Amino acid sequence: MSIKTKKTLLNVFKWAVLLIIMFFLLFPIYWVVLTSFKTNMESYLYPPTFLPKAPTLEGFINLFTNYPEFFIYYKNNIIVSALSTILVCMVALFSGYALSRVRINWNKYVIAFLLFSQMFPVVSRLISLYGLLRDWGLLNTTAGLVLSITAGQLPFSITLMASFFDAVPRDLEEAAFIDGASRFKTMFQVVMPLVIPGLLAVGIYSFLVAWDDYLYASTLIQNDALRTLSTGVTLRYLGELSYDWSLVNSISVVGTLPMVFVFFFFQKYMIKGLTAGAVKG
Amino acid sequence: MLLAPSVLIVTLFIIVPILDSICKSFTDYKIINIIKGIAPQWNSFANYIKLFESGTLTASVGVTFTFVITTTLLSLVIGMTLALILNSDIKGARFFRSVMMTPWVVPTVISALVWIWIYQPQYGLFRYVVNVLTFGRVSDFAMLNSSSTALIGVIIVALWKQIPLMTLLLLAGLQNVPSDILEAAQLDGANGAVGFFKITVPYMSSVIKTSVSMIIIDNFKQFPLFWQMTSGGPNGSTTTLAVLSYKEAFINHNFGSGAAVTTIWMLIMIVFVFLYNKLFPKADIE
Repeated sequence: MSIKTKKTLLNVFKWAVLLIIMFFLLFPIYWVVLTSFKTNMESYLYPPTFLPKAPTLEGFINLFTNYPEFFIYYKNNIIVSALSTILVCMVALFSGYALSRVRINWNKYVIAFLLFSQMFPVVSRLISLYGLLRDWGLLNTTAGLVLSITAGQLPFSITLMASFFDAVPRDLEEAAFIDGASRFKTMFQVVMPLVIPGLLAVGIYSFLVAWDDYLYASTLIQNDALRTLSTGVTLRYLGELSYDWSLVNSISVVGTLPMVFVFFFFQKYMIKGLTAGAVKG
Repeated sequence: MLLAPSVLIVTLFIIVPILDSICKSFTDYKIINIIKGIAPQWNSFANYIKLFESGTLTASVGVTFTFVITTTLLSLVIGMTLALILNSDIKGARFFRSVMMTPWVVPTVISALVWIWIYQPQYGLFRYVVNVLTFGRVSDFAMLNSSSTALIGVIIVALWKQIPLMTLLLLAGLQNVPSDILEAAQLDGANGAVGFFKITVPYMSSVIKTSVSMIIIDNFKQFPLFWQMTSGGPNGSTTTLAVLSYKEAFINHNFGSGAAVTTIWMLIMIVFVFLYNKLFPKADIE
């Protein structure tokens, strides 16, 4: 076999594998979007249709007009995710700075401890949080949910933030010190602006994780008016309404869209942050 | 001082609850204790003994390990394949790299919905595909309804969700591999496989190690997929430690027993991570 045919064969093989994996990753998305534009009658056809015969917005209109509670869950999810993101960012910013810049002997133990605490099963914490939050009067409140979610995200966010601070050269701060700037002034005016990409990465990551939460909300919130998207959708639409697949698929599309926008807008920071965290290890 | 808020939140919402749940695992602690405000009664190892005797605990340890190991290995292999292809000079790599991330941003509960619909026993796409592929011999395939295939069904969804991130991390790691060394090896006659195992993998070992341990921990913790898709059934074939502990604590309202499950789970995690670190020490090629 000549080198040229060998190369062509390799290329064909590469493309074949690539397309198979891509198909696996992307076809389900197509399938959901497709079903959401079918009438409920059509989604029940067997064998299924691969292009809608009569594209319709029925599922979406139905969702927007007949299911007001979906938008309450939606709003709650935005509130909880936004609050915990803000909290995570603030705490991670200061703690990350401290871990990176204030050299104390036990810093290394703090990091090990943070990484270690991530391993523990969430259910284990929930069993006792359920009782503890009740004693503290935080069960069934947005505050209790937000704090619990925030705590779960802090270990990763703080270590990630610290790695971004580590990347800022110390000389910059020393120069500012010599010019007579105070520690806080150097922190806010010299160092902070340089870690904004890192902060964005932490923020987007924690927003995605908070948006995704199911376990915390399903155990710590029982009040329907405070339910978030994941739990609301499961409780309401999976059991009784799972015969309206056009609606369920419309819900899937509407529930995912914000994440897709957030991700594609901030993709650059997000990828940088995640890979920085892992590659540095 | 700057660490104070994080130490406070982490202590109150992680450390205290974990220690508290370990203590509770040795008590008779049910929903009634919470409602009536009765302090949990010490019952030493009763919760543990009951769990072991019923066989549910050992079964769920088996299911958990099957799930974690299969999913992690497959996502490493598929993720590495995809990363290598995207890292070669293939056309449209940038485009593929960005659209492949979509499953990763789909919320877990919605991923479950997506795949429940695909696996749907009467009108689902999967039934149709299996029917076509077997030339009509298997015409009523229902992935999640049989105890022999339900776990496979969940593993497929877990892979669908985590391959994108795995690929992304490995792609970042591939940037560390010096292309001149690879080319030199090829000139010296090393074939693709030798170059991959002798050069690429060693240079990427620290990335592989961190991303694999990240995914192992995530897979150990996986709960919503199982809960939505199978609730641990049929016949307990998808009851992992996460599902079992949730069921004990929040469905049967036996918090003591749930805490016993999570305590065992924690011990397993600690041993597993310890062994993992022993077996694959961090290589220092920078």
